[in-house]
Amino acid sequence: MLTGEAMEASRIQRLRRYQAWLEVARPLTTVIAALGVGFLVTLLVSPRPLQAYIALLTGPVSTPARLGTWIEDATGLIWLGLAFAIVFQARQFSLLAEGQLHLGALVAGIVALRMPLPGVLHLIVALGSAAWVGSLYGLIPGVLKAYLGVSELVASLMLNVIAQRFYELLLTYWLKPPGAGYNWTDPFPSTATLGALIPGTRINMGLPLALAGTVLAWLLLYRSTLGYELRVVGANPEFAHYAGIPLRRTILIAMVVSGIPAGLAGAYLAAGIHQRLILNISLGLGFEGIVVALLARNNPALVPFAALLYSYLRIGGDIMERTAAVGSDLVRLIQATIILFLTAEALFEIFRRRVFRRGDLHVGK
Amino acid sequence: MSESEVLRAILSPAFLASVLRVTTPILLPALGGLVSELAGVINIALEGIMLTAAFVGVVISAYTQSAWAGLAAAMAASAILALGLAFLHLELKADLILTGLAFNLLASGGTVFVLYSLTGDKGTSAKLASRVMPTVDVPLLEAVPILGPVLNHHNVMVYVAFLMVGVVALLLYHTPWGIHVRAVGAHSEAAASVGLNVRALRYQALLLSSLLAGLGGAYMSMGYLQLFQRDMTAGRGFIALAAVFMGGRHPLGTMLAALLFGAADALASQLGNLRIPPQWVQMIPYVATVMALAVYAIVQQAAARRYLRASSLRESGL
Repeated sequence: MLTGEAMEASRIQRLRRYQAWLEVARPLTTVIAALGVGFLVTLLVSPRPLQAYIALLTGPVSTPARLGTWIEDATGLIWLGLAFAIVFQARQFSLLAEGQLHLGALVAGIVALRMPLPGVLHLIVALGSAAWVGSLYGLIPGVLKAYLGVSELVASLMLNVIAQRFYELLLTYWLKPPGAGYNWTDPFPSTATLGALIPGTRINMGLPLALAGTVLAWLLLYRSTLGYELRVVGANPEFAHYAGIPLRRTILIAMVVSGIPAGLAGAYLAAGIHQRLILNISLGLGFEGIVVALLARNNPALVPFAALLYSYLRIGGDIMERTAAVGSDLVRLIQATIILFLTAEALFEIFRRRVFRRGDLHVGK
Repeated sequence: MSESEVLRAILSPAFLASVLRVTTPILLPALGGLVSELAGVINIALEGIMLTAAFVGVVISAYTQSAWAGLAAAMAASAILALGLAFLHLELKADLILTGLAFNLLASGGTVFVLYSLTGDKGTSAKLASRVMPTVDVPLLEAVPILGPVLNHHNVMVYVAFLMVGVVALLLYHTPWGIHVRAVGAHSEAAASVGLNVRALRYQALLLSSLLAGLGGAYMSMGYLQLFQRDMTAGRGFIALAAVFMGGRHPLGTMLAALLFGAADALASQLGNLRIPPQWVQMIPYVATVMALAVYAIVQQAAARRYLRASSLRESGL
């Protein structure tokens, strides 16, 4: 027979299991519901909606080349998802990743094209400087927020435009070959590119690096004092203050550290995917990381899965447009629906309460 | 073009008139951003609402062959988005910033998706015979030197935009509604404790905010340009937010900030003729905003410190 204590323990365990289950179930049901909304829209505009949706849902795995495109795209999104997971954990709404991505790509390009270094050192310096410039740029909204109380959201949106214009400026007036009528640089020397992993695709060394980055980000957030402080500040700043956690320093560090993966995302696009600098290198990719972080509930360990899931939709959308003449912009509708479902807290609370009540009854019997 | 020619071009009435034209689609959403910001509900969705209004305006004006019907439909679309945004935030407790970003994605994807479904074109609405709102000519004004060519012969929405500065200032500072809205924004709990309906006031503020943004969007596609282009608002909704903060969260300041953004934009296109890279000029307003935010915060902090010191002196009987 169970003692009262043991029963209490098993009850808590049961509730924990429900909670863990919900952590996974929520993003999945959200994506499925959003896909459902997308299908309803497709019904309205396409004479062959089923064909379009099959293209969307099976396209990315239909050929090896498409599979490669999927993994390449997901790799970049892992870096960006990590960047947002870190700032969001501290509840800082800095959207600077887009700007940091541009500066990271720019600096990687400068090192690759203008700083001849021997062997593997070239690549290491290129990646290192991209991470460094990303975190340095995070210092600006970090200081403004932590010490002056300036909205990090507004500051980061301004700084994004500044970084993007600066990138365009140096690309057009300095880095591209003089007199060239196009807006891209010469290809990077092979010493400064991320080597291909799988022939026939652009999957490259960036993928294992991104996974290593995931582990590091997880260790930082869940196994270090700094990460603990960062999460406490995000969860309850007042409690953090009374617990003696330096609020300002922690906010500042969150924004600086988040710049590392964001800068590396730029280096990955420049040195891994394009192997040169091109004018519209990001196409708003920096903002896509927000959805990835949200899907992963800001947990670095879940970011790679979220990136794969989300990237699957992006690539599937492109294929759907080419094969079924349904605009790939449908994916942006699905993406927006995902965000709305994920952020509408109350919507989910109703569901959670119902499940928990059922759980309680179960145990109490 | 030489330096002196560019200088002459910048000082010309035609350039000043172009500043007003370029400022309008920043000023209208900026006033909208101001209203919601003062109510304590930052409206990140300005960009998406503008874009939706621009698109709906063009489509409806093409089908009805009336620019005014287009404008009315654009307003209706803005209102629907505003209510959706307010409902998600105020009823379902969704995060306002993320919801706003989702609305922007929805608008950016949705407009292109519907455009493609309607016309088979993903870039512009050139295939739709849409209408344009009329320009206003005042014969008397034309006779006034310098001022005439600057102020006359604009699209009606340019005048509406600058008129709205006064309307919004009047609403916010000289009506009970405005005082209530600002109270809700300054301290929602205190406002609630004296019986103000915080939720209703925020609904109204978001609605007004979105309608102003919608006016700006309708002007983009039925005045500033004569068609819809994908993502044609190009970040103006965010620039508008910056103008709110740079302008010290006040209608007049917001207008001046919007004019500065407009002037920099107009200047950048002039400098394209010189060897100065336009990117430099395009950066100026953004750098200025970040610096203005910092300076404003420093001044506020210094004032707070002075106040604290003064009150502690008073308490110690000095």
